[in-house]
Amino acid sequence: MTDNILKRNNVNVMGKGKQPLVFAPGFGCDQTVWTSVSESFTNDYQVILFDYVGLGKSDVNAFDPEKYSALSGYAQDVLDVCSALDLKDAIFVGHSVGSMIGILASLQHPEYFSKLILLGPSPCYLNDPPAYFGGFEKEDLTGLIDMMDRNYIGWANVFASTIINNPERSDVASELEDRFCSTDPVIARTFAEASFFSDNRKDLPKVTVPSLILQCSEDIIAPESVGEYMHEHLPNSKIAYMKATGHCPHMSHPEETIQMIQDYLEGTPYEAVPEGGLI
Amino acid sequence: MDEQLNDAPCGFLNLSKDGTVLSINQTLIHLLGYKNTDQLVGQHINSILTASARVFLQLYFMPLIMVEHTVEEMYLSLAPRSGEEVPVLINASLNRNNGNTVIVCVIIPMRRRSEYENQLIIARKLAEDASNEKSKANAQLETALKKLEAKQEELLKVNKQNQKYKIETQEELKLAKKIQETSLTAPIYNENLQIDSYYRASSELSGDTYGFYQINKHQYGVILLDVMGHGISASLITMSLQSLFQKLVSKGSAPDFVMKELDNHLHHLFQSNEEAWHYCTAIYLLIDTNKQTIEYTNAGHPPAIYQDSNGIQQEFGAMTPPIGSLEGIHFKSETITYKPGSKLLLYTDGVSEPLGLTRLSSLLKENKSLALNRFKEKIIYSLETEGDNRFKNDDQCFILIGLE
Repeated sequence: MTDNILKRNNVNVMGKGKQPLVFAPGFGCDQTVWTSVSESFTNDYQVILFDYVGLGKSDVNAFDPEKYSALSGYAQDVLDVCSALDLKDAIFVGHSVGSMIGILASLQHPEYFSKLILLGPSPCYLNDPPAYFGGFEKEDLTGLIDMMDRNYIGWANVFASTIINNPERSDVASELEDRFCSTDPVIARTFAEASFFSDNRKDLPKVTVPSLILQCSEDIIAPESVGEYMHEHLPNSKIAYMKATGHCPHMSHPEETIQMIQDYLEGTPYEAVPEGGLI
Repeated sequence: MDEQLNDAPCGFLNLSKDGTVLSINQTLIHLLGYKNTDQLVGQHINSILTASARVFLQLYFMPLIMVEHTVEEMYLSLAPRSGEEVPVLINASLNRNNGNTVIVCVIIPMRRRSEYENQLIIARKLAEDASNEKSKANAQLETALKKLEAKQEELLKVNKQNQKYKIETQEELKLAKKIQETSLTAPIYNENLQIDSYYRASSELSGDTYGFYQINKHQYGVILLDVMGHGISASLITMSLQSLFQKLVSKGSAPDFVMKELDNHLHHLFQSNEEAWHYCTAIYLLIDTNKQTIEYTNAGHPPAIYQDSNGIQQEFGAMTPPIGSLEGIHFKSETITYKPGSKLLLYTDGVSEPLGLTRLSSLLKENKSLALNRFKEKIIYSLETEGDNRFKNDDQCFILIGLE
């Protein structure tokens, strides 16, 4: 079982340290996105990288459209990896929707985690006026899914439905776009719908594991107001504002990202900070 | 910017790694509906993208360019200053010059090709829907087939049980028929009279029954009954009546008394069960060979034919309705004196209907001097070869009496 999970989720464990540090990718891409950041932690931590089922070098045949049509399916992947490696008090670093996936995992098994580091998180991408501004209207997100379709070249060869629903065509499934960021109409679309149409705001107050929110500048996917909403509703949370712009600071500004994570991890243990306080 | 690049037949764009426009060529400026480069340099690329393209850029373009340092043939949509969005293909590479990271982009509008691709996507969607419909229909068919197979199996099982039941029932009926036949009395042949009979059940069991008994040295009782209908229920009633008339006849009871007792018995049988109600025609003769008389009574039964040695015939017709039909019937009897050499033919409608009453009477006339057993064979032969087939599925029974 353990071996199956490690293979299924393409789990890679490296580093000389003992404290486990799990990096969870965001939407659409595989663990490669963490390369620049994770390298800096291998001296002091046990670095754990993995892919969600369907992405990167995971076992595509294990993809269950029903399971992965909700974020809980991806959270189960995280829990499976933690269980397979027998992790306890791991530090979890999640990017984008990976943050929310980590939060959901921590609600089920808080003992697996000691800290959650959330890079550009959002509990809900859709606007819910007047109280909540997620940043998106429904049309923006359906437009995004259309654009994913337009950028998927693989579909010229095969119907999306035949990839997943046909067990005899596992050869097709394994030939799915060999790119680290996929736009394929089955797996990526299922992931997109699970990510962008979910609303996990009610889960935030239940979280018991301490967390750090890393808020980027000019991030259109997770704007500042969303980061602040997270901070307000997540118990034991801190928020730190980054100079890095955009939604992918771990790739565009790895140095700053590394620094922020190290500061948090090496800083004094958690102390209550005033509402909206900064570190 | 190089003049050739500035006017090249494609958009050209340099971005910082944050996505800020560093330089932009004239072709792209025009495409976007701006007048000069100053309006866009220093702005974020988001300002020339549609909302969906901005997200797509963050989710796909940025990771790809950062990790793989190249982007090929990515589809995006630009938002010009005014007018409709412009679908474009973008190729990009990440260049590092003197410590500066620059994203170099070439942009080609693809309005017409995009329209073509739209059509392809629609066609594919249609084909895929059709394929899904087909698989769905196939799955439904398969389910239906499975159900059908299960039903068929069930039917086969039931059929087998039915077959078994049918065979068992047939065996039972055969046995019952034997029992019924066993209860019939044997022919009587002596110097005073001869009585012989023929009996054939339409199905396995008959609604006809008869009996003839020597009551004492000179007296004989002959009875013939036909219970309405035939089959199991009718045959059970004949058995019930038979046990009764056997006792009554053996005692030498008067014909009207015998008939009344049988009538009472039937009324008693069905008084609390309308559904099972059956009536029965019956004829009873009490023959005295000493006095050479026949006392008879007929309850709704086809007339017995009496023929003397000269061939003169007389009918013993019905005197009352059938027994078990009306309440309170008063039964009577009549007595005739016979001469030696006379014959009597008693029969049920299973015999008279296919042959006709005239034919029976003529058969008697034609064969007046024939021995009784030979005459019996004649009638059977006529039944088999003559007459209306429509009437031949009833129980058939007749009794021949020769008086000396």
